[in-house]
Amino acid sequence: MIETINLTKRYEDGRLALDRLSLKVEPGEIFCMFGANGAGKTTTINLLLNFIPPTEGTALIEGIDVTREPLRSKDYVAFVSENVMLYGNFSAYQNLDYFSKLAGKRGLTKVDYAGVLRSVGLQDDSFEARARTYSKGMRQKLGLAIAFIKDAPNILLDEPTSGLDPKSGQEFLALLTAMRDKGKSIFMSTHDIFRAKLIADRVGFMKQGRLVMLKTRRELEGEDLTELYIQYMDER
Amino acid sequence: MLKDIIKKEIVETITSPKFVFTFLLCAVLILLSVYTGVATYSAELKEYGASVALNKKNLESQPSYGALAGLGTKISRPPQVLSSIASGIDEAIGRVATVNVAYDPNLVDSKYESNPVFSVFGALDLAFIVKIVLSLFAILFTYDAVVGEKERGTLKLALSNRVPRDRLILGKVIGGYLSLLIPLIIPLLLSLLFLLAMPNISLDGEAWGRLLLMFLVFFLYLSVFFTLGLFVSARTSKSSTSFLVLLFIWVTFVTVIPKVSVLAAAQLKPIPSVHEITARKDAFLQQIQGGAQKEVLAWVKENSPKPGEDQKAFQEKFRQWLEEYQQSLTAKIDENNAALERDYQAKKRAQQNLAVNLSRVSPASALTFSTMSLARTGLDEHGRFLASIRTYKPIFTKWANAKMMRNINMQTGEQGGKVVLDDMPQHTFDPETLGRSFARTLPDIGLMFVLILVFFSGAYVSFLKYDVR
Repeated sequence: MIETINLTKRYEDGRLALDRLSLKVEPGEIFCMFGANGAGKTTTINLLLNFIPPTEGTALIEGIDVTREPLRSKDYVAFVSENVMLYGNFSAYQNLDYFSKLAGKRGLTKVDYAGVLRSVGLQDDSFEARARTYSKGMRQKLGLAIAFIKDAPNILLDEPTSGLDPKSGQEFLALLTAMRDKGKSIFMSTHDIFRAKLIADRVGFMKQGRLVMLKTRRELEGEDLTELYIQYMDER
Repeated sequence: MLKDIIKKEIVETITSPKFVFTFLLCAVLILLSVYTGVATYSAELKEYGASVALNKKNLESQPSYGALAGLGTKISRPPQVLSSIASGIDEAIGRVATVNVAYDPNLVDSKYESNPVFSVFGALDLAFIVKIVLSLFAILFTYDAVVGEKERGTLKLALSNRVPRDRLILGKVIGGYLSLLIPLIIPLLLSLLFLLAMPNISLDGEAWGRLLLMFLVFFLYLSVFFTLGLFVSARTSKSSTSFLVLLFIWVTFVTVIPKVSVLAAAQLKPIPSVHEITARKDAFLQQIQGGAQKEVLAWVKENSPKPGEDQKAFQEKFRQWLEEYQQSLTAKIDENNAALERDYQAKKRAQQNLAVNLSRVSPASALTFSTMSLARTGLDEHGRFLASIRTYKPIFTKWANAKMMRNINMQTGEQGGKVVLDDMPQHTFDPETLGRSFARTLPDIGLMFVLILVFFSGAYVSFLKYDVR
């Protein structure tokens, strides 16, 4: 489970990046957070990963306070970032091998890696190719494979679908749905309203660091999410 | 985990195009430098042998001791076997000094004098390659070590796992440094094999000790730039900025500080020119010569035999007086010249020491001074060798004067007697011991250690606080 309680971040320049965010993402749930650039989506993820300290409030991963026990909390969370370049000189196998070891996974073989790489939709002939030859979609799939192999109960995704072609985007969503079905808590920051609408169990809109709207899938039925987004962003 | 990080660093580096390029360039440059160094040393050794033999032949062929005293003996500087690794100031200083009764000896006929084009490009020795090329490679390997990972997103990805930051930076340091050493160590080992295989090169235990210490200095020097690269990389948010900052520091360390130090020392501690010193010596010589003529005439006038007195006894008395007088004049000239020279050398040494100490802030200068000391091709060894020649000068002069006066025909003034060199005093020079050379390099080694410690601590602390976003 991913949880924030009154999570607040004010930077040294006085800018309020996140204002008392309280949120819970349950196991088996996909939560999509929308908002303009600088609204606070990525700041939330950075706080959940303890990359930056909060000004106030608490961020919890699987009930563990990430500020107090940063290393332990990271055992329970996987992260997929926007446009991760990975190690260009390394193949998919090598990238996966390195990050799986950092995640504490030992004794995995090439067969295990191949299984995960196939599961994210990468073709067998690309496993040995250097990551620098990969398209953006392939890199994102490899990033997802790295997150999957960690097999953490919580997944944080920062703009994972930006720049993906429609087919890759579709495949990506299918993978996330499969993860949700396995009981993972998934928090995704995105601008991609169309794709997010297809898989989100709940959505939130952020504006100037504040969560200004929170709706469930059921509440969104019959609603035009784009209209709603524009309305919230303009009005409040 | 540390092992995995180290392994990743090494594999990532050695599979990169920059590593392949670096390795090939290092291999070619290092092997070429050692090969040319050895070839130059062999040629110099041959030249040295020929020069010593020719000097002996020249001395033996002199018609008289007077001619020998005027011509003087030539002292050749023996080549140093480790000049093939660090040539130091070997090529800039003279290779031979003439010791005669008249002038103060000085080393002349440097390689640069013989062929000025050498001074334009300098020597391509191993110390130069490490100082310029490998330090640049150290920067090239590290400028994006931290900031590059941030830009690629791999730093966030790595730190989203249970990875302590201190372990990550430690892994990067160890793995990165080992990767940097590969292009250095393999060609160096090949060079050592080459040195062992060359018949002209004979390295005794002390020379091996010196060589190993030089390699240690090379590793320390590269560590300075390696840790500096990491430090700057952990203090910047763009790899292009990191590279520019490092390039600026590199230029400052390698070229600006050493050159500015020499200029600053010349301004702060000015010394008289060589011409000024020579003019003073000449003036004193003329004064002595003028006085001597009068003195001899006065002595002859006062001591000339009256008609009927024994001419032979007078001649013998005159010979003895003249020999003593000649020795006393030479001693006066030597004393004056030595005093002038002492004063000049003291001022020059003070200026040199100031320049050396000012430039020591730069690790490039520290590398240069320490490798020169270890290879016996530095300022100090040169100074000691010159001092040994100057110590030898009065010994030679005394011998030559005595021989000259004993073989002069007082009636005709002609020089007689066959030149025999059996009892001619020989110039000796004890090269600096390894212990002394090592002690001389300690400030430089110490400075490099301090810089490594400062840069590593800076990189370590900066990385612990590094904003990975």
